[in-house]
Amino acid sequence: MSMLEVKDIHKTFDGNQEILKGIDLSVDKGEVVAILGPSGGGKTTLLRCINFLERADSGTLTFDGRTYDLKKITRNEISGIRRKTAFVFQNYNLFLNKTALQNVTEGLIIARKMDKEEANRIGRQALDKVGLSDRYDYYPNQLSGGQQQRVAIARALATDPEIIYFDEPTSALDPELTGEVLSVMRQLAQEGMTMLVVTHEIGFAKNVASRVCLVEGGVIVEQGRAAEFFDNPKEQRTRAFIEAISSKE
Amino acid sequence: MLSDRLIDILVKSFPKILLPGLKMTVPLTIIAFALAMVIAVVTAMVQFADIKILKPLARFYIWVIRGTPLLVQLFVVFYGLPSVGILLDPFPSAVLVFAINEGAYAAETIRAALESVPSGQIEAGYCVGMSWVQIMRRIVLPQALRTAFPTLFNELISMVKDTSLAANITVMEMFMATQRIVAIYYEPLALYIEVGFIYLMFSTVLTKLQAFGEKRLAVYGKR
Repeated sequence: MSMLEVKDIHKTFDGNQEILKGIDLSVDKGEVVAILGPSGGGKTTLLRCINFLERADSGTLTFDGRTYDLKKITRNEISGIRRKTAFVFQNYNLFLNKTALQNVTEGLIIARKMDKEEANRIGRQALDKVGLSDRYDYYPNQLSGGQQQRVAIARALATDPEIIYFDEPTSALDPELTGEVLSVMRQLAQEGMTMLVVTHEIGFAKNVASRVCLVEGGVIVEQGRAAEFFDNPKEQRTRAFIEAISSKE
Repeated sequence: MLSDRLIDILVKSFPKILLPGLKMTVPLTIIAFALAMVIAVVTAMVQFADIKILKPLARFYIWVIRGTPLLVQLFVVFYGLPSVGILLDPFPSAVLVFAINEGAYAAETIRAALESVPSGQIEAGYCVGMSWVQIMRRIVLPQALRTAFPTLFNELISMVKDTSLAANITVMEMFMATQRIVAIYYEPLALYIEVGFIYLMFSTVLTKLQAFGEKRLAVYGKR
């Protein structure tokens, strides 16, 4: 049974531009699903609708065996779901007035009312895991982009989520810094973390993702197992997309 | 140019001006500014959160207060309100007017600072499970107050000097004390420069405090 399933998501911005035109997507426990696609195709909007950063116009979401109407979902239901999920942003969005450790523990101490010492223990563990055991007390502006994104991943991990959403986690990074973030993500995937990843990193999609989707023009053009998707795409648009990005590399 | 008599007057009047400064100007400023900060944060938050009914009320308050002279506001409260049965002593009248007046200006300063906090900070807060109130209290307001700090200090320094207007409603602060001494010795040039100098001393202390405060707030650096 899938852990997360969305059906027929529609989203129109400002009453004219329909960004999502009915998307169905499901993620099983332990799966890593990569969403590829050209800019403006709706990938990020899809992810943001799934975590309610944008309100979808219609559609349903099934999470943990319960189904919600995306238009009518209540604030309480949203915060209930959010406590079991985590989100990693393209531009990190670390709390600028908090240290690395405080960034990781904030959601535990404030939102989940966890004991401070326990939260600090978990927070340090999470930062150790992403290779930042020497940066607990650094503020975001004292860290490189790659380090900031790893703090953001630690912040996501600390809350023990059932699924982590990644929104182009390496797109804001200099090329030489993407490796450190991708290797942390690869490690999480190997440990069985369920992940839904919007990305431009073809290598990551090819080698780490269990399934790949191409989102373009507000619909899922094609999805399939990574190997199949890249080696034997069925749709013409998928072939064109793969060609376009391969020639760039 | 400075005769012995004049020096004698200046030396004798110095404590007579400074004392009302410490007893009236300083408490008036501190109490009124503290109240103004409460008013300003509430007024700014109401607008930032886009709360129905309250938001237009906040805009109305700012419009009226910024659009009328402080001196007129002082007169309305102290000389005007008694005719509808509201009698306030000079000092509380001044505190009230300065707090309401400064609150309107500071509200705009704080609103601008709130809006300068990147929206990603709020989204990240939601994503780690925090509520709107928690995000405001822990993430957005602390960052906004740091941005607003220099401007708010500007306004505080202005306010120290503006309290001289309270002389018009018989608050015995520094300026009024000086006027009385001038009336005795008739040395307006020297004495008004002297009181100006004392205001400058107060402002200097605040300027130092501002630099100290900014240093403390700078721990997490620029964006």
